[in-house]
Amino acid sequence: MTWFFVRRLLGLVVTLWVVFTVSFLLMFAVPGGPYSAERNLPPEIEANFKHRYRLDLPWYEQYAFDLSRDLTGDLGMSSRLQDYSVNQVIKEGLPVSASLGILALFFAIVLGLSAGIVSALYRGSFADFTLMSLATIGIAVPSFVVAGLAIMLFVFVIPIFPAAGWGTLRQLVLPSICLGLAYAAEIARITRTGMLDALSQDYVRTAKAKGLSELMVALRHALPTALLPVVSYLGPAVAGILTGSVVIEKIFAIPGLGWHFVQAALQRDLTLAMGLVLLYTVLLYTMNFIVDLSYGILDPRVELK
Amino acid sequence: MFGRTLFLILMFVAGLAAVGWAVYGSRLPPADFSFTNETEVATVDPALATGQPEMRIITSLFEGLGRQSPKDTHFAAGAAEKWEISDDGRVYTFQLRKNARWSNGEPVTAHDFEYSIRRLLDPLTFSRYAYEGWYLVNGKKYTVASELATGDRVEVELNQEPGVANTVRGKLLLGKLVHKESSGTKSNSSAEKGGDDEPKQDIFVVDVAGKEGRFKVAEATDSVPKNVERCRQVLLDFREVGVKVIDDYTLELRITNPTPYFLDLLAYYPFAPVNRTCVEKYGSPDWIKPKNIVTNGPFRMVARRLRDRVRLARSDTYWDRSNVKLNVVDALSVDDRTTAFNLYMTGMVDWDTVPPAEVLRELLKEPRNDLNPAPQLTTYYFLLNTTRPPLDDKRVRQALSMAMDREEITRVATGAGEIPAYSLVPPSMPGYHKQECKPFDPAAARKLLADAGFPEGQGFPRIEILYNTDQAHQAIAELIRKQWQNNLGITATLRNEEWGSYQDSIQQLKFTVARRAWVGDYMDPNTYADMFVTGGENNNTGFANAEYDKLISDAAKELDQTKRMQLLEKSERMLMDEQPIIPVYFYVSRNMVRPWVRGFYNTLQDVHPIRDIWIDRSVKNDDPRPNEYMEPVK
Repeated sequence: MTWFFVRRLLGLVVTLWVVFTVSFLLMFAVPGGPYSAERNLPPEIEANFKHRYRLDLPWYEQYAFDLSRDLTGDLGMSSRLQDYSVNQVIKEGLPVSASLGILALFFAIVLGLSAGIVSALYRGSFADFTLMSLATIGIAVPSFVVAGLAIMLFVFVIPIFPAAGWGTLRQLVLPSICLGLAYAAEIARITRTGMLDALSQDYVRTAKAKGLSELMVALRHALPTALLPVVSYLGPAVAGILTGSVVIEKIFAIPGLGWHFVQAALQRDLTLAMGLVLLYTVLLYTMNFIVDLSYGILDPRVELK
Repeated sequence: MFGRTLFLILMFVAGLAAVGWAVYGSRLPPADFSFTNETEVATVDPALATGQPEMRIITSLFEGLGRQSPKDTHFAAGAAEKWEISDDGRVYTFQLRKNARWSNGEPVTAHDFEYSIRRLLDPLTFSRYAYEGWYLVNGKKYTVASELATGDRVEVELNQEPGVANTVRGKLLLGKLVHKESSGTKSNSSAEKGGDDEPKQDIFVVDVAGKEGRFKVAEATDSVPKNVERCRQVLLDFREVGVKVIDDYTLELRITNPTPYFLDLLAYYPFAPVNRTCVEKYGSPDWIKPKNIVTNGPFRMVARRLRDRVRLARSDTYWDRSNVKLNVVDALSVDDRTTAFNLYMTGMVDWDTVPPAEVLRELLKEPRNDLNPAPQLTTYYFLLNTTRPPLDDKRVRQALSMAMDREEITRVATGAGEIPAYSLVPPSMPGYHKQECKPFDPAAARKLLADAGFPEGQGFPRIEILYNTDQAHQAIAELIRKQWQNNLGITATLRNEEWGSYQDSIQQLKFTVARRAWVGDYMDPNTYADMFVTGGENNNTGFANAEYDKLISDAAKELDQTKRMQLLEKSERMLMDEQPIIPVYFYVSRNMVRPWVRGFYNTLQDVHPIRDIWIDRSVKNDDPRPNEYMEPVK
């Protein structure tokens, strides 16, 4: 067990280093820089600017400098959001994205699991067909369409929710549903497949033979096994959902992190882009780690070494 | 089993608690007035900011010698109460009002302005608007140290003492520059690209109080040759720059050329003062945090949440606070134009700064009491790379321009009543007659192209139109491609690049035809004309003409307004004949403003100071009486 932790921790360090290196080289290769703008800097000031952000150094020196700074946990200054350091951007944005993500996940899990279980139990029925068709649509339709429809319906036609913004629970309802819908659809499909698989297992037949009710068998015995693929799916999904969604954050004007992911790259805010990529790596790695741990809890056959 | 259930319940409770905490912690009472302020402001530091969203905040927080008047954006009294301009138009003397206060209680004095202008010019501030200060005597020489010559009085700024804020200057040694020499070692910056064979003149020999010292810009960790002292920078002695504190409340500014719009420039935010105590105590960028910032304007910043809002509250130290009517103002960062429009339509904001073009087209079909597009000081044009054949031929450039149907573009592709442009300088510049290029004339265009050796477009290479990724720009580029194809028989392809790459391509002339829009910085044709001088930073066409350069520099020195305008007209005439650019249309402003918002005027620069806005509670949404904004535009 201890060895498992240590190995994973070492893995994280190596992964972070590889991600850092690849991202660094990619960013170094793209044209333009944080100093590109409509009002051009006089050349001397541009030289100073490059010096300040160490853009005038050869790439290996920049690399060494950035790496050693990031190692201390200080991700540097954002070059576009000049009043903020990358750490401050994350500190302000992550709780917002995470809150929205938690609500969306909660919604996705409740809806997805229920739909998946019902579909599996009543396989081939009208309910199964309807739910799975909806799930397919849910996966196929992009979130900006869902969000657009939701806004038209619940903001303008039946005005029960505010159009956008952050600060009250009511403002969170629409975005979290729109964000969670695609995840719910995916979870429903995975749950259904897992349940069908589990329901045909010998131990489920044994449970039935013991005289347990249908529902008891499904929830107590089949569900934990059926959850394994859902959990595997949730690991990376949680990392993605916690760091925010560009589309939903843009449409609902939510001050999360998702927007920065794209804008930092577009505006050549290299420090911010790097900080976010590293944050995402850590989250993704941690979530996968938790998934592995939960396998040990959910499935007695799995042993962590 | 029990443990697992408990774990799930705990997770659930913890999750909800986290959400509750995040939401509860960000609750704010509603504001009196709120507006959508486009994208998140990059900074509220007056010296560093560029752009409209930043300006709306900065002009509310800081007040310069003057401020932009809400009706016509000209200079109106601000921190300065009275001012005098010398007869030769070169010396400005300002009397500051004695009751102007910083939010920390300190009086606003001439020293604050001296400090702030020096900071704007300092090359280590990285101000994009430093050149606004170059109108001052020796302003440019202060920023651009390579212009220093033997015999100049200089200030050597030594490296900072350890442990001080990054905004505190190092110790200053004042002296005379004896000469510059090379240390022989290649500096880091020249190692980067390999080029730079000339050894840099990087050692400054300075005579400080009769003793010669040798200084090199280097950090404490860098190695320097023997007998050379490290310093942070060597600049012109700031006393040589045209900024002089006569006494605590009298400031004298001297400018090189009699610039008639200099006063208006001073009302522009780069010249806003910052509080030295605050800046030097916290350092940059921490001094800007709401809990640290010290301001002298009509509002103070009470909260700022990244990508959410900047909240302003009326300052109780502002000298004219009784004329500031709004108590609490919210500037919301809303990136998406449709979202901003939704917020406006559902009554969550009182002013939508940029509603989406496709919506405007629909809205303008019926009369409204909250929308009144008006001409704006912004031109949309295409840059032609005059260094690339066949665009190096004037006839080809003219043909391209004459084959472009602007009326169709403004009718089909834009939609808020934009005005087709045949000149670079927008209409309604006072005292100026804009000079136009030849109108739409496909037959004449074909003839010009034939004269240039491409009859019916035969043999004409495929040309590429570059634009930054945006639906609106794409629509325009596609229309132009079609027009050139139909009218000239030439083929164009489109290339879009996102902002950073696009800027880079333009700077390095890596394009054939590229779009560009330019917002006038001040109400004078010079803001457009001086871009196209040889080697100008925003020229970006390869256009170089000594005669043109002379017209611009003559105009800058000309005292007589009429003559100056004539010189500028001549320069635009030349630009419109040579056509390194093709004007397409002039922008119109497109604010949506609720009828209860008063003190909001349509202005050419689309500037609307929040200080002068107030809310008339007696007005309902369907009130037919026009507010100031809805008054017909002249």
